[in-house]
Amino acid sequence: MVLSESWKNFREGLADGLLPLLGKEIRGRSRSWRFPLLLSIYLALLSGGILTFLWLNRQVSQFFLQTGLLLYGLFACGLVLLLAFIAAAVAATAISGERERRTYDLLLVTAASPAGIILGKWLSSVVYLLLLVVAALPLLAVVYLFGGVPLVTLGKALLLSLFAGLGYGAVGLAYSAVLKRSQAAIIFSLVTVFALIFGTLIIAGIVATSQRQPGPVPPPPPGKERAWYIYLSPLSALPDILPQNGVPVPIAGELINISRHLTAGAAGVYYEEPPSGMPATWPAWVRFTVYQSLLTLISLFIAALAVNPLPPWRKRQLLRGTKEPPPKKD
Amino acid sequence: MIRIKGLIKKFGRVTALRGLDMTVPAGTIYAFVGQNGAGKTTTLRILAALLPPDGGTVEVAGYNAVKNPRAVRELVGYMPDFFGVYDDLRVGEYLLFYAAAYGIRGPEAARRRDNLLELVGLGEKREDFVDTLSRGMQQRLCLARALVHDPPVLLLDEPASGLDPLARVELRKILRELGRTGKTIVISSHILPELADFCNYVGMITEGRMVYEGPLTQMIAAVQVQQIVLRVAGEQTPALKVIEAWPNAAVVKLTDEQVELRLAGGEAEAAALLKELVQAGAAVTHFARTEQTLEDAFVQIASEVK
Repeated sequence: MVLSESWKNFREGLADGLLPLLGKEIRGRSRSWRFPLLLSIYLALLSGGILTFLWLNRQVSQFFLQTGLLLYGLFACGLVLLLAFIAAAVAATAISGERERRTYDLLLVTAASPAGIILGKWLSSVVYLLLLVVAALPLLAVVYLFGGVPLVTLGKALLLSLFAGLGYGAVGLAYSAVLKRSQAAIIFSLVTVFALIFGTLIIAGIVATSQRQPGPVPPPPPGKERAWYIYLSPLSALPDILPQNGVPVPIAGELINISRHLTAGAAGVYYEEPPSGMPATWPAWVRFTVYQSLLTLISLFIAALAVNPLPPWRKRQLLRGTKEPPPKKD
Repeated sequence: MIRIKGLIKKFGRVTALRGLDMTVPAGTIYAFVGQNGAGKTTTLRILAALLPPDGGTVEVAGYNAVKNPRAVRELVGYMPDFFGVYDDLRVGEYLLFYAAAYGIRGPEAARRRDNLLELVGLGEKREDFVDTLSRGMQQRLCLARALVHDPPVLLLDEPASGLDPLARVELRKILRELGRTGKTIVISSHILPELADFCNYVGMITEGRMVYEGPLTQMIAAVQVQQIVLRVAGEQTPALKVIEAWPNAAVVKLTDEQVELRLAGGEAEAAALLKELVQAGAAVTHFARTEQTLEDAFVQIASEVK
């Protein structure tokens, strides 16, 4: 009986936060000048990258297929990185912005539960990310002019970029809930995202270099694999969705090869036990999405605790301290 | 309707509330008065389940604010002293958003929006963006927001702060109207004459403790201090000598025309003083007692506590 009452309260609190906030955020963003501006910058960066690539490779028409693959690789890299940083920066103002606008108390005093508020804010950033992904599709279609990229690989790239955005958006939301100022939340979020994307690989590279013996890179010892934390970076999953062969195209080809070397080469010589419960056969992009889902859940949980005026441990503490008769309804 | 016992709240080393007791009977308009920093806002935030107490019990309609904060929030409409608005929403959308956050959607939400906008006089502003409203209008909109789930208890923290005189009059009118609907309203303010106009219960807080609580009329009657304006024909000296010698009297203001004095005690004390003045040879031409106000009462109680 008590359980069903708690479940009812949880469900109602969730709905009272999620539905109105989702509607309000979408409506608000569609009216704000910031969204079209950000969308324009985002598309300009992606288009600029593609145009620069095509201009640099104007001499290599004989490598038409490889050019298409490389263009796709460059596009996938750009999409993943842009969405990761945009999602974190946008979500980092979600709760702290409410505090700064002095609308935070008005939100908390409603029947919406902390989980409902956080999920509403997070899902609205999901919708925002989906819009960014959809807006990039016409650019992705340019890749098809050159051919050579299967639809499944293309889908993986979009999935990867979406998961990167969702996870890092949740990190931004957690910072926004914990820190009072938007500026601080944005800085901390971007630094954390930078550390997760590049820092993990750099650490893996340093560890690998310190352990590396002279001579060729040895194959992984049986039962060992790459350091688990490199899967916190979407760059570790990129080789799964990038062209597999070396490509003789100047500059752009080098960029992608460096990315592959960074993830599969340097980090690959540092081996350890695989994380428990995760089959060693899982490809890197699947591992990344699993880790990203965990990161999302942990971040959302922290955010929900941070916005709760009466967190569960404090409630227990207070109720232990008060000896009073059970509440009665008027 | 509201029962607080031994409420304690600390912010680091500062103790904001030191065992506050408060009882608000159902249907009263409760003036919650006190100096700045006395603990009014902290108490209201705890009542709205926005802040956990460090000790004591808080109950609204029998629901404990710690044990059942969700139930308390549904019973309470809260209007903070400083608040912001979503500048990207229209007035009507703003109310619909908060209605949905209380689980009220569809035609019922639209009906409440229209009724509340009429109540606060913003019916014609429904399609305007919230940030285009004046401060007074935003204050009224925030009041409508606090009423959107039809709560039996309203907590208003300095609702008239920052409003011009006209906007204050309008707000008072709305609050009087709400009082007639039988809602329990707790209003914190330091502008006491405003509260005295329409409140019927008063709680006075000083340094985190309730120093007086009860019906407003009783409080004013209980405070036996009166202001007296005295005019005499000719020499004021005999009158001043009597006042100086009188144990419960003190001159507040002295001019060539009149003497203003403060006198502790009731009507009998005033009559006795007048008799003494006449017997001492003072040619009294004017002896008038001014009516006690909430402000006078507050000043006296606060000074007694000190």
